[in-house]
Amino acid sequence: MQIPVAEGLFAVNGAGVQLIGTRCCSCDTLYFPQTPGCRNPLCRDKQLEQVLLPDRGTLYSYTVQRYQPPALFAMDAWSPYALGLVDLGHGLRVMGMLDDVPLDKIAIGMALKLSLRTLTTDENGQSRVTYAFVPDTTKDHA
Amino acid sequence: MTKPVHVLGAGAHPWGKWPNRSQLQLAIDALAMAIDDAGLSWPEIQGLVAASSRFEGGMGWGLHANEVVQAVAEQGIPCVNVGGACAAGAIAFQTAYSMIASGQCDVVAVLGAERMPKGFIPRPPGSQDDITDSDYLRWVAMGATNPAYWAIEANRRKHDFGTTDATLAQASVLMRRNAAGNRLARFRNPTTIDEVLASPMVSDPLHLLEICPVSDGAAALILGSEQYVQRSGKRPVHVAGCAIATGQFGDPGRRIPTISSTVSDDVSHTSEVTTAVQRALAMAGMGPNDIDILEMADNTAWHLLAWPELFGFYEAGQGDWMLNNGKLDIGGDLAVNPSGGFLSFGEATTAQAVLQVCELTWQLRGEAQGHQVPDARVGMSAVLGLGANGGSVILKT
Ligand SMILES: [Zn+2]
Repeated sequence: MQIPVAEGLFAVNGAGVQLIGTRCCSCDTLYFPQTPGCRNPLCRDKQLEQVLLPDRGTLYSYTVQRYQPPALFAMDAWSPYALGLVDLGHGLRVMGMLDDVPLDKIAIGMALKLSLRTLTTDENGQSRVTYAFVPDTTKDHA
Repeated sequence: MTKPVHVLGAGAHPWGKWPNRSQLQLAIDALAMAIDDAGLSWPEIQGLVAASSRFEGGMGWGLHANEVVQAVAEQGIPCVNVGGACAAGAIAFQTAYSMIASGQCDVVAVLGAERMPKGFIPRPPGSQDDITDSDYLRWVAMGATNPAYWAIEANRRKHDFGTTDATLAQASVLMRRNAAGNRLARFRNPTTIDEVLASPMVSDPLHLLEICPVSDGAAALILGSEQYVQRSGKRPVHVAGCAIATGQFGDPGRRIPTISSTVSDDVSHTSEVTTAVQRALAMAGMGPNDIDILEMADNTAWHLLAWPELFGFYEAGQGDWMLNNGKLDIGGDLAVNPSGGFLSFGEATTAQAVLQVCELTWQLRGEAQGHQVPDARVGMSAVLGLGANGGSVILKT
């Protein structure tokens, strides 16, 4: 049993993992996470719809979190991990954990795709999962 | 037609950890020093604007100014309490400026006083544990600490401009060297590039000595109209410009605590601060070349490289050369944080922007003992706060 860290943040379906965002149909702007309004001051109508965001992007920048964050962030067997800022296109840059890549092999510009990462698993086998970015080995996206 | 506004007095309690002194006591001390510096006494103060904090004091409602007058001078004056997180001091300054420039008051005090909690800053009570609260998501979904946000900026700078770890460390070295002569700073021991790089890595590429910690501190200013400018007998210091601003849609900066941004190429990075700076410069009728001193919020070494570029002091990417060639030193082309900056003070959030203007005042008067910038005529402050709040003040002699 997998429990997401927050409802409405990402969706898991046949296509894999996708972030749930908002598109403003009036000015064609993407937002993540879902937003109650369009922040573009020049946009008048602000007609919003829920969308699944692109699941592939490139690494814009990153860091390695070397010390343990406060308790609200729970992770079994804590060890330093990478956080990336990922360009999903359309002006949207999203932060998230980087997974499946050695900390010294991370490079700005690398192709990434969305995945799930298990943060904690309790004695009943129930896990808390978040979204994460992993190297995109297919690299077939434009 | 607005009236000219002047800085009549400045006062600050030393920065540090003061477990035995209340936030109120720090505030009262700083105010007493500023009033004395102005050659005035409480009955002449016609208004008090306080940066309000959520950490301590303010009677639980952010009523920091009210708490002070109830402690030392109940005299019916307007008390204004302004929010703005780490930029609250700049918003307090802007408010007091307006009260005098409008002609409503002749003498108004500005106050920022802070005792910071230990460890991580807790989320405010009543926050939603769902996707509507970025400050929840950044923790539960990825554990993104504040240094992680700044580190992501620093790594991108390394990629874009080839900034080295030694150059980032040099920024911390400069701040400590400046602070060595400043009795108000908390960390006054000089350091070296090797020592900075040997300090623990917090969030790559930023080491512990490249990130500002939190401190307790308090600072106060007395602003006044023309008729009070000669009262103290000290060299007059004028407010040439001051402005506050909020962020622009499309800002590419990694804004705490958001987990994403919708970015436009034509919008300035950290637009809340660059907009405030540009407004203050326009008000002063000045350009970056007119500024002798920049007191800016150096939450990390990266800020010291990036911010002067964002403000137009020189081109993007040139900060490394400026720093490494002594151009940002006391006595250089642009003295950046002769006080020692946040890296040497630690951040006493709401007090920080008031302290910046105190420092500029002392510099322009020639009273910055131990860290005086020679022939300083014009000084600028720049600060950033949660909620995309930016503020900037320009003083001139
Ligand atoms: Zn829109």
